[in-house]
Amino acid sequence: MRLPEDWREQVRVNAGAVGARARVRIVASWREKSWIIGETVFPFLAMSAFILVYRGLHAPRLYEAFVVLGGAMIAYWNNVLWSMASQFFWEKEQGQLQLYLIAPVSRMSILLGMALGGMVMTTSRAIVILTGGVLLYHVPLPLDRALPALGLFLLTLAAVYSLGMILSSLFLLWGREAWYTATLFQEPIHLLSGFYFPVRALGAVTAGLASLLPITLGLDGIRQILYGKAAHGLLPLAIIPPLQVALLAIFLYLAHRSLALMENLGKREGRLTLRGG
Amino acid sequence: MRRQVDVIRASAWLGWQIDANWADPFTFLVFSIAKPLATSLILYFMVRIVSPASATGDTFLFLFLGNTFFLYVTEVLIGISWTVFRDREDYETLKYIYLAPMPLRSYLFGRGLSKMATATLGVVVALLFGRFVLHLSIGTASTPWGLVLVAVLLGLVSVAWLGIILAGISLVVARHSINLNEGLSGVFYLLSGAVFPIEVLPRFAQRISLWLPFTYWLELLRRLIVGRSFSTTLRRLSDGELWGILALSTVAIAAVGWLWFRQCEHIARSRGLIDWKTNY
Repeated sequence: MRLPEDWREQVRVNAGAVGARARVRIVASWREKSWIIGETVFPFLAMSAFILVYRGLHAPRLYEAFVVLGGAMIAYWNNVLWSMASQFFWEKEQGQLQLYLIAPVSRMSILLGMALGGMVMTTSRAIVILTGGVLLYHVPLPLDRALPALGLFLLTLAAVYSLGMILSSLFLLWGREAWYTATLFQEPIHLLSGFYFPVRALGAVTAGLASLLPITLGLDGIRQILYGKAAHGLLPLAIIPPLQVALLAIFLYLAHRSLALMENLGKREGRLTLRGG
Repeated sequence: MRRQVDVIRASAWLGWQIDANWADPFTFLVFSIAKPLATSLILYFMVRIVSPASATGDTFLFLFLGNTFFLYVTEVLIGISWTVFRDREDYETLKYIYLAPMPLRSYLFGRGLSKMATATLGVVVALLFGRFVLHLSIGTASTPWGLVLVAVLLGLVSVAWLGIILAGISLVVARHSINLNEGLSGVFYLLSGAVFPIEVLPRFAQRISLWLPFTYWLELLRRLIVGRSFSTTLRRLSDGELWGILALSTVAIAAVGWLWFRQCEHIARSRGLIDWKTNY
């Protein structure tokens, strides 16, 4: 069965947009050397501080492994915040947002390209953090369970970046508040997602609500796959992948609706170009 | 002198407007306190999951105080040097500020003052949260709050001059200075024992830690507030010695900062870097 000609053209153009936007991100990630340092050394320093907190408390080595896994996931969360959610804000500041808006492609394609490029770019950083954690701090990382953990990790990334698409549409209208909001979504989310400790410690209600964030859910599941009961998991492992798929579907739908809504609102209120705010 | 005070006051007001005028006061307050409260709670849950009994004891109190007061280092240190970058690269106003009849250093101190105000808000709220929500024994009848205030101010002078040193580097370095600022803040957080006793660090890192003024600053603040020492290595130092080290290191940093900034300013002018634009 062949698609109608105009559909095929749409698919071709949008696939081109995805590839082009992803390529920019991948090339840029290696071109700017200072970013590589900024995205590996700083998170590693923060992670090291929290590992040493556990060491100072004489906690079992497993807790240090929780921090290392959390540190790797923080790299993705930061990428979602600063390079997905805030990206349209940066583009507006640089006067390029209007170019995206007049391009004959879906905004979702541009965001998908950003997401794919961002995942590739951040994976190199996350590998450095994981490797450093294992080599420098000798945290246990059972590789025999790596494959199912990788499967859940990929599903988690898809859901997290789809949440980034929703945030991107919200940030579309903002000026300086975009910057502050992205900052606000750092440490408080590090707390709620249990990047440095099992999220169960937050208590059933708070941790349950925090699990609406796919990164919380994913990290909890990955720790359970790798460390079993010792991971102090919140939800039964069997229900985490279906929940993650449901979150992915909901977030993609919401992102699509939200982008259209915010773009129209932005056009009506004249907030898609920079006014020096 | 009066002129200097006017410059500092005007630039502090400018910094405050840049930081705060995008939101109503309540929203701004929420944004200002979110980070210190979140990091304190992260530490709280980390301690609680390992040892529930320690979560309200001295172990956590030491971490809490170190983490709370370190907010000044993060905010002021990065804030001052970040000003050079933002004014030069984003707002493109550094050249106009430079042309104004005032020393750039005073302008930067003023911008640092607004960061101190924001950080103070975060620190005070975090301390109140620790006292009344986490039920930590912060502040007893015997706590010498006057001395705590003097120690905080002395530490802030040190942080501000270190910020000036970084601002000098930012003047002569391209956009990469952002990474330098944030990286150094991370290094200080790790090496000053803000959230763990320095004995946990490897031997070489302990030696570096003992060269940092913030190590002594945080130890002194903990001793003044809790009445006991956190680090076994620093326990051998008396309170007087800690005050002395802090005062001497502040004078040394100020002297180095003054000379360093003057030199960087000279290089920036001679190479035409004041209106440099290197960001994307």
